[in-house]
Amino acid sequence: MSGTRLRHPVAAALAVAGYVIMIVPIGFVVATAFTAGSTLRFPPEGLSLTWFGEAVAYSPFMEAVVSSLELAALATALALVLGVPVTLAVHRGRIPGRGLLEGLFLSPLVVPELVVGLALYQQLMIGLHLDNFTTLLLGHTALLLPYAVRVTGASLALADPALEEAARGLGASPVRAFFTVTLPMLRPGLVSAGLLGFVTSFNNVPLSLLLQTRDFRTLPVTMLDYVQQSYDPMVAAASTLVLAATVVVAVVAERTVGFAKIFGGINR
Amino acid sequence: MTTPAAELVGVTQRFGSFTAVDAVDLRIPRGRLTTLLGPSGCGKTTTLRMLAGYATPTSGRILIDGQDATRTPPEKRDLGMVFQSYALFPHLTVADNVAYGLTMRKVPAPERRRRAAEALELVGLGHLGDRRPKQLSGGQQQRVALARAVAVRPRLLLLDEPLSNLDARLRVQMRAEIRRIQSETGLTVVLVTHDQDEALEMSDEMVLMRAGKVVQSGAPRDVFPAPADRFVAEFLGYENFLTLADGREAAVRPEHLRVVTADAPLDGRVDDVVLDAVVRDVAYRGVDVLVTLDATDPAGTAVRLVADHRAEDETPAPSPGARVRLVAPRARLALLTPAAPAAAPATAPEGNR
Repeated sequence: MSGTRLRHPVAAALAVAGYVIMIVPIGFVVATAFTAGSTLRFPPEGLSLTWFGEAVAYSPFMEAVVSSLELAALATALALVLGVPVTLAVHRGRIPGRGLLEGLFLSPLVVPELVVGLALYQQLMIGLHLDNFTTLLLGHTALLLPYAVRVTGASLALADPALEEAARGLGASPVRAFFTVTLPMLRPGLVSAGLLGFVTSFNNVPLSLLLQTRDFRTLPVTMLDYVQQSYDPMVAAASTLVLAATVVVAVVAERTVGFAKIFGGINR
Repeated sequence: MTTPAAELVGVTQRFGSFTAVDAVDLRIPRGRLTTLLGPSGCGKTTTLRMLAGYATPTSGRILIDGQDATRTPPEKRDLGMVFQSYALFPHLTVADNVAYGLTMRKVPAPERRRRAAEALELVGLGHLGDRRPKQLSGGQQQRVALARAVAVRPRLLLLDEPLSNLDARLRVQMRAEIRRIQSETGLTVVLVTHDQDEALEMSDEMVLMRAGKVVQSGAPRDVFPAPADRFVAEFLGYENFLTLADGREAAVRPEHLRVVTADAPLDGRVDDVVLDAVVRDVAYRGVDVLVTLDATDPAGTAVRLVADHRAEDETPAPSPGARVRLVAPRARLALLTPAAPAAAPATAPEGNR
């Protein structure tokens, strides 16, 4: 398959370089995680699973994993619940300024997250006295909205608008037409937007860093803190575990929906 | 007189400054097949969409079974619509597609299954209920769309260019198929098309539209030999137009113009129109020979005419440059109403939208 496309030697070389640049650093981290030594160093000194045990037993990490999962799941769900109606309004509605509306919902993509974080900190935590989890949830939701709108929009753009008209003509109210026809059409878009959103939230540093407290801290922030204090391979082991989990999710997604379908939508 | 199945009263639809449908009055007779025929942009699809409830008229009223339905949403109109794209639900099986309208009407499951199977049987696809729409051919999808619309026993069956996505042979088969379904079910059908042959073959009643207005309507047998004006005549395939001695315009079809030798005895009736002509071009087409001629019409104007010379005609087809005589039997002349405004830009009919 790639044989036909990469026949040109320069293209082939660039592709190989791309893969090397992406994969080699990950290789280093994974290799280091299996070290029997006590420093973050390559090549690893001996082979052992000690640091995986340490990482799993280290309660700040485990608490942070729970926090991160909780935050990512809630923010993703919220972004989809808010994003789908926006998508419908943009693609199906007859409202003036559709382009502006879509632009507004895509804007978090271009505003630096540190600025968003600072604004949220000042307005929501200081101004409205919201607690830090609520503020983080709102911040992450805003961050994920563009993905929800864009990816579900790509799904919707592929669906024949006559489908909803057909449903109405057959006796479905607008609400029933949405749940029995439009929503099933959106399913691949929802799955891909959900996965993308979840991963984006789970990996986010800038917002989570600005809005953290001692009680609620996400995994990336906790790991960052840890690396600043100690230089042992436990972080590498934790990273490897996260990586493994991500791969499992990706494989499941590929098997159930198919990556071409999931991420094909984004380029349209 | 019985109430028509549907009625449009002074219906106008404007999109911005464009008037798609202009003060149309129309009665859809019950239990018959009515076609809305016209070139693209004539307002036929907009008229259908207003009947279905997908568009609300800017002014005027729509009555269904004698009751005002102008602002009734589509789901409360109890109609069946077949879309040009078929609009089958890709995530449902064929049987579930057909049963969708029944599910929405809360018909209990056993009856729903029975009626969906019946509808599929009616279109000859009883064996494909478990498939997905994607696994069917275009012609089969079209039948499923038809079955889905018929299954709810709609008050009106609306078909928007239902045959335009099928290949030529299948299209001709489906014409008869839709007629059969109509007569078996007794449904009132409204069909939109830009194809005059389709309309002539299928309609009980045909309605010709142009620029948002109804130009002529009636049974094909009444409309075809007597087009009201030049636009209708051109749309129905009349290719020859000439002005008679009394100044009236007449249209005649190529197959009704007889080409005879210049010295042939005139055995026809006295009031036949006889013209001297010169052959310009001769095109052999198998069943016939198309002869293009230059002639002078009874009013003295130079006209170019086309005659269909049948292979079985006694005289051989003339060759280019020959001086001949053209005979147009009086009974075959369609007299047109003068002054259809600004000689209709009646281009060849093409795809809608």
